[in-house]
Amino acid sequence: MGRFLLLFCGVLGGLFAIEMLKPVQEAVIQPFTGLLAALSTAIILPFDDTVIAQGRILRDATTGFAVSIEAGCNGVEAAIVLIAGVVAFPASVKHKIIAILAGFFFVQALNIVRIISLFYLGQWNHDVFEWFHLYLWPVLIMLDVLVVFAVYLQWLGKQHPEGNPA
Amino acid sequence: MLMRRQFVLTLILMPITFGIWYAAGSLFAAPAVWLTDFLMSSAYPNIVEAAGLQGAEMMVRTQFGEDGGVIMAATDAGNHIALDINTRLISYSIAFYAALLLASNLKDAMYKFCIGLFWLWLIMAFGLASILGKDLLLMAGTPFLDSTGVPPADLIALIYQFNVLLMPTLAPVCLWFWQLRGSPLWEALAADIRRASARA
Repeated sequence: MGRFLLLFCGVLGGLFAIEMLKPVQEAVIQPFTGLLAALSTAIILPFDDTVIAQGRILRDATTGFAVSIEAGCNGVEAAIVLIAGVVAFPASVKHKIIAILAGFFFVQALNIVRIISLFYLGQWNHDVFEWFHLYLWPVLIMLDVLVVFAVYLQWLGKQHPEGNPA
Repeated sequence: MLMRRQFVLTLILMPITFGIWYAAGSLFAAPAVWLTDFLMSSAYPNIVEAAGLQGAEMMVRTQFGEDGGVIMAATDAGNHIALDINTRLISYSIAFYAALLLASNLKDAMYKFCIGLFWLWLIMAFGLASILGKDLLLMAGTPFLDSTGVPPADLIALIYQFNVLLMPTLAPVCLWFWQLRGSPLWEALAADIRRASARA
């Protein structure tokens, strides 16, 4: 448990500091955030052709309403927590890589739901938008991380049944 | 099965705990604001004069003033710049923690909640101080950075991101996990962990 906590905190702090570095922001985080905006637009477009993506901004061409996907809204922090948990927990490298890739996918899938929901909530009611943006969605994303990690532990257990070590 | 029930119950309880948290206004944030006031006015008396609650906002009276658009010491400017910080940006961690804890149906839940609340207030105080640091950096800039004991701008940004974007959701999970020990859910989770790490 102590080893897990130490590794978890170390990886969490390390990845968080790396994410904040300017070259990493410019080369990885900002293009990735732009990709999220483009993906969100691609999902919305078949249902609503007034939406356009401009870099990290999702805009409604009719109303002019726009949301900008900023740090903390791109799901990277949540993914870092998950990666830190997976890396800190003893398992084979192969299992860790699978868990990180699958976990990242699930966190980002929910994050795209968050972005799309906020885009429409903002056009409907600003107070509701603020509530979901500032308080509810961060909690739901963290719950998603927790669920993914719990599923990962169960999956690992099924890969290595108790009393049958290789 | 227990874990699934935990997540479903957490989602069901969240509207209730968030409703109570919002209706309570400044109640849940007050101790963290008092602690922030004590910490900041003790550690940085040359930057922060006092902090207090005004509704759900933390009002901070700084030692900076403004004259003709220039930020300077309040004594030179003849006025004090005040900042207001939305405490709910941090205090929603209490509503999340309450939902997690209630969903686990632990023994001595109220006692555990009080212990957790105490820790959350400490963490929230650092969160509020981090927001204050970021706001002062944006508002005052160089005069703030040149003050004694102020960390570099990059470190302020990093601390802000960590304490405001991550801790309000991560801290409740860590506290809840720590308080789970001895519960049926903990036993189920421990069995999963034992199986998972059997070959590691």
